[in-house]
Amino acid sequence: MKGRLIALWLAVGLPLAWGVMKTLANAAKLFR
Amino acid sequence: MPESFLDRASTVAPPDYERFSVPPAALAVHLSIGQVYAFSTFNLPLTKLIGIHHSAPGDWKLTDVGWTFSIAIVMLGLSAAVFGRWVERAGPRKSMFTAAVCFGGGFIVAAVGIHFHWLSLLYLGYGVLGGCGLGIGYISPVSTLIKWFPDRPGMATGIAIMGFGGGALIAAPLSLKLIEHFRTAVSNGVVETFVTMGVIYFMFMMIGVYSVRVPAADWRPPGWVAPVKPRPLVTEASVAVDAAWRTPQFWLLWGVLCMNVTAGIGVLGQASPMIQEIFSGRVTPAAAAGFVGLLSLFNMGGRFVWAAVSDYLGRRRTYTVFFGLGILLYSAVPSLGHLGSISLFVAAFAVILSMYGGGFATIPAYLRDIFGTMHVGAIHGRLLTAWSVAGLLGPVLVNYIREYQIGGGVPKAQAYSVTMYIMCALLLIGLLCNLGMRPVDQKFHFRAAKLPA
Repeated sequence: MKGRLIALWLAVGLPLAWGVMKTLANAAKLFR
Repeated sequence: MPESFLDRASTVAPPDYERFSVPPAALAVHLSIGQVYAFSTFNLPLTKLIGIHHSAPGDWKLTDVGWTFSIAIVMLGLSAAVFGRWVERAGPRKSMFTAAVCFGGGFIVAAVGIHFHWLSLLYLGYGVLGGCGLGIGYISPVSTLIKWFPDRPGMATGIAIMGFGGGALIAAPLSLKLIEHFRTAVSNGVVETFVTMGVIYFMFMMIGVYSVRVPAADWRPPGWVAPVKPRPLVTEASVAVDAAWRTPQFWLLWGVLCMNVTAGIGVLGQASPMIQEIFSGRVTPAAAAGFVGLLSLFNMGGRFVWAAVSDYLGRRRTYTVFFGLGILLYSAVPSLGHLGSISLFVAAFAVILSMYGGGFATIPAYLRDIFGTMHVGAIHGRLLTAWSVAGLLGPVLVNYIREYQIGGGVPKAQAYSVTMYIMCALLLIGLLCNLGMRPVDQKFHFRAAKLPA
């Protein structure tokens, strides 16, 4: 059960983290 | 796939099921359908299908392509309102599957339309079919999450609706990467990108379809006891969807959502030109794009944070903060522009956009408090028509007032001041609607021997 739970959170969390990192990199231009 | 797999009865969780598996199932759907906010990344490529590198005679115009997004958003509100009852009846798995077929299929139909250069098929595929996927997908996990988290309904629905805000953060760079990957000398890669995204999103939404479960009728969180003392503005009764929309409470909440969204959506759509014009010569287009990205992050983060906070603060107080603080911040924006403080300007809009997202994410829990859990998904679906109205009203207000001001000789940097004060007036209407909220009259309460699980 725990493994399934972790896998589920990773499946949705990793793409979201990738999108957030890309957006943050873009947002950093505002303060350069 | 046997039909029984999709039925509500097949999704009842075993006793040892971990309830924190449900939010990622909801997120899989909302992160996918949140792609709609990044549709603008296709706008320019769709106007260069014939010319490849530039718009050629016969290519679609930007205004023609722009309608695709508007149709999708209108269909989101309409389909959520029309199919809300079916979603409640069919259960989350069947409705998530339907949403995946509509949304993924919408991309494929639109790809055919792009390939043959039939604009109407693009509208029909992404706008109508995809829009139905948006509406059904948006409301499909709401009542399930509320039933799994009776102790923290705001936090639970906040996680899902945060995904709708976060979807664009994934879709925008993904679309650009795919277009780049598929671009050749004879194709700008949009058709292939649409097909790929249709398949990816269908499969990603299937994570939600396979993993979602509904709790057994008598299930309660371990160690949790329903509050004995009645809490103000939190009902233990239930109101059926057909009775709910006849109550004043429904229309007050409709006003709350509409005003909160109108104020935020107009600014979100104009954020890039607004910061460049107010701080003329100091903010480049690239930095303005960074500002838009930052607002999207706060829009997403606010959905989770504010909805979770509302579990402790109470729903009415949370919206009072949205409207009260919103009025203060909007009225301060013109002064911040005159002061020339970019940091304070960005900070003010970051908080404003967090409350815009928070308004979306807290409304399901507010509906649960006022109307009970029985038809909360369907009632939420009908309330989303406020979003459709706000989607038209917000941008129109910001754009037309700005044009009128500039036409009257007001410098571009100051053309947004009146807009900000009008946003304050809209928020004041929202505040009054929120403060007028009272418990639903008992004559609207659902009375039956047994409520459906």
